[in-house]
Amino acid sequence: MAAEKIYDLWASRNPQWEKRYEDSIIKNFCDYGRGATSLREDRGKVFGGGYEIFIVAFFIGLYFNQKRQLIEDTQKRKTFGQPIQYWGNLDSVKGRKAYPKLREYIFTALIARTDIDFIALEKGEMTSRKAVDMLMQTMEEYANWGFHFMEDKLTDDPNYFFRETAFLEVFLAFDASVPESTDEDEPESLD
Amino acid sequence: MIIKEIKINNFRSYYGSNHLSLSKGLTLVIGDNGDGKTTLFEALEWLFDTTGENRKDSHISEKRKSELEIGEIDEVSVNITFEHDGEKEIEKSFTFERISEDNIRTRDYKFVGYFIDGAERHSIAGDKLLNMCFEPVIRKYCLFKGENELNVFDNDTALKTLVDTFSGIRDFEKLVELTTEFEHKSANAANRELQNDKKVSNQAKELNAQLNDVTNDIQSIKTELNQKKISINEFSSKLELLEKNQETSERYQAIKERIKGLKDKRAKLAAWSSCEYSTNLLDEYWILRSFPAIIKEFSAKVSALSKEKRRLDKQETERRAKEAGEREAISKIQKLANDAVPLPWNLPDEATMKEMIDDEICKVCGRPAPKGSEAYEFMCNKLNEYLAHIAAEANKNTATKEDDEKPLFPNSFINELHSRQIKLSGDTEQEISKIATTISDRLEFVTKRKADLAEVEKQLQELETEQNDLLMQSGLSAELLDKSISDLRGFFDAKSRAESRVSELETTLKFKESARAEIQEKLSQLEPTSSMTQVYQRVHTAFERITKAFSNAKEQNINNFLQMLETESNKYLQKLNKNDFYGIIRIRKTINNSARIELYSDNGTRIENPNGALKTTMYMSVLFAISQITTLKREQDYPLIFDAPTSSFGGFKEDTFYNVIDTIDKQCVIVTKDLLNIDKATGQKTLDSDTINKLSCSVYRIEKIEPFNDKDLSTIQTVVKQVR
Repeated sequence: MAAEKIYDLWASRNPQWEKRYEDSIIKNFCDYGRGATSLREDRGKVFGGGYEIFIVAFFIGLYFNQKRQLIEDTQKRKTFGQPIQYWGNLDSVKGRKAYPKLREYIFTALIARTDIDFIALEKGEMTSRKAVDMLMQTMEEYANWGFHFMEDKLTDDPNYFFRETAFLEVFLAFDASVPESTDEDEPESLD
Repeated sequence: MIIKEIKINNFRSYYGSNHLSLSKGLTLVIGDNGDGKTTLFEALEWLFDTTGENRKDSHISEKRKSELEIGEIDEVSVNITFEHDGEKEIEKSFTFERISEDNIRTRDYKFVGYFIDGAERHSIAGDKLLNMCFEPVIRKYCLFKGENELNVFDNDTALKTLVDTFSGIRDFEKLVELTTEFEHKSANAANRELQNDKKVSNQAKELNAQLNDVTNDIQSIKTELNQKKISINEFSSKLELLEKNQETSERYQAIKERIKGLKDKRAKLAAWSSCEYSTNLLDEYWILRSFPAIIKEFSAKVSALSKEKRRLDKQETERRAKEAGEREAISKIQKLANDAVPLPWNLPDEATMKEMIDDEICKVCGRPAPKGSEAYEFMCNKLNEYLAHIAAEANKNTATKEDDEKPLFPNSFINELHSRQIKLSGDTEQEISKIATTISDRLEFVTKRKADLAEVEKQLQELETEQNDLLMQSGLSAELLDKSISDLRGFFDAKSRAESRVSELETTLKFKESARAEIQEKLSQLEPTSSMTQVYQRVHTAFERITKAFSNAKEQNINNFLQMLETESNKYLQKLNKNDFYGIIRIRKTINNSARIELYSDNGTRIENPNGALKTTMYMSVLFAISQITTLKREQDYPLIFDAPTSSFGGFKEDTFYNVIDTIDKQCVIVTKDLLNIDKATGQKTLDSDTINKLSCSVYRIEKIEPFNDKDLSTIQTVVKQVR
């Protein structure tokens, strides 16, 4: 049996989000809870599957580097129908392109921003399950902050995100400069 | 009739009460598309309509309607105050009431006029007052919508109506009829007498028979001639239309081609300028625009982990190597500590040892070792030591083996991350760092294409306007222009056949008429014996002359009227086309007693297709002339109201036009979207104050109140502002 990979363990999971965003955000911008045939027919259905707005929310939280704990009561949380490994596969959606690599970038970001004792994990002193739990928590908390951010904007102006470029503008506001490279950062060969 | 004030209440977009005071000369009402220009015009049309009770739900202001609570009532009304032998007023109105959520009921239709007699104000039926002050025939020459309705001679009865109204020809008509009858009767009487006269009876009978024949021939020739002339006329106008079509058709096709080209371009630009800004975040990975920093963080973290792991790995390897070395050393040291080589720990073996204990003899030295003796105890201890050593050895082996085999890092997650780090570096990292540029390039591209698209849209709109103008000016349908003009030849042939027949007939007619004249001459030269017969003859001759005189006078009267109309029209045409070519208007009577307005060049060439502006001013000149003649003949004035008469004018022509019309001594209301300047950046339209300030007329601006919902009629309200 091939050695288990932390990426695969993570990708088989399904992140949680707070139910309160279901109507105010997810259903507003996605075809969440609808048949695949009627995708994006209505005004404002900017995105397809519900996870798409989750990804957007996640990146907002990530770039702002702001997390927000999910509500304690697990009854008030929900997950999407598809685990992460299927996100962005969009093969049957007209006018869209698949973006499977984005999952890997999300994972990369989670590794960078989650405080896991990898040495302990590597030694077997910590279970891989525990490590993946921590990654999921980071993911959920970033997205939760992102949803909160959107909700805030929508409270001020309910049509805020119905402008064509509104979501893009959020991301254009972040610094896109490429940090200076140092030798330290260069990956070294393990051989 | 000179209108002093117009009041409009809840009529369509004119929500609530609105009023305009008109000057005696020109009043300009300026508004953009959809601002309520045509509504103003139609409000007056509604007021001037005396054909019956005419109230429509669509007349009611949607805005007012939407505000009404159930049971609430309001009124639609249009009212004018005017000067016509003193001040008078006419108002048409009806009330409307909301009776349910979806239903409005209209009732109480009123059409009332008021006039002041002495100090008292009297009311009178609206249509009656209107017909008194503003006759229906004159009303025909008052309201004109667009450029197409300006040709007042477009229908066959127009000239007759006009001539009847203004030239007093009706009196001549009666006289001509009367004298013709006298002539007829006197001819019969004279003939009867001649045929009874002994001397000339036979001659007279013969001449009369000839005269009858010739007269019948002439009658049938004239009938045929008339028919042929009518058909030539029809062929001519058809040919003219077709010839005009040919040119128009070519222009139309050219415009159509250009429109098609622009539409293709627009489709391309629309595709280029459309951008799925939101889904591109995912599909095109635009969301990774700021990701390079995160990759750096990841790389730094993974590098550090890899290093740490290797460090720990090395440390462990060193530790293990050290422990193994120590063990070997200890065993070596133990060997070298005793000079005498001790018996190996395993000699004697377990079985031998147990046997010696059982036998109570030390079989190494051969001495007995009874139970309880020192030697016996020694052997028991030796056995225990042996067993302990075995056990310890066994333990020691297991521990060392375990220590040697168990790795420090049983998992390889860090290696997984490290592979990922390698995968991310190089090309992938570079690709991600380019995303920011890709997005800004794309946004710039889209912005530019959108600007191109707007330009194309503008051009397209202009071309479409040109196309519509062409259709409007030519009065032809798009279908007709799309067809090829193949029947031109057929009309030509038919026309020339008719023309040669006409010349044949005319020759015959001349011949027959001179024959008739001869016979009549002969008849008149007969010398009857009876003096009474002579008297009859003379009476007939007298009536004949009188009839001719009246007929000629009637004809002359029409010609004089047309001449006067022509002269007056040309005066206006010259004014309206100051500093431009204008030609000469000729008003020609047609064979079917209608009239045609035609434009000629000074050298006698007919200008077949005057340009839109010239044609409009030509027709307007005739309208002004008619109005002028009305004032002269009837001593009454009436306003001329035009809705958008200048749509085919260019900017320069517009300015001149308004300058001239401003000085014409005639009440004239022009509702127009001219004289508005467009701010290209904002699309905002403002009054062209430079041009307006040069005019002396009253100016009103009508506008939709902003904001409005472009899909909800009940949010549309026109406001009337007096600019000057």
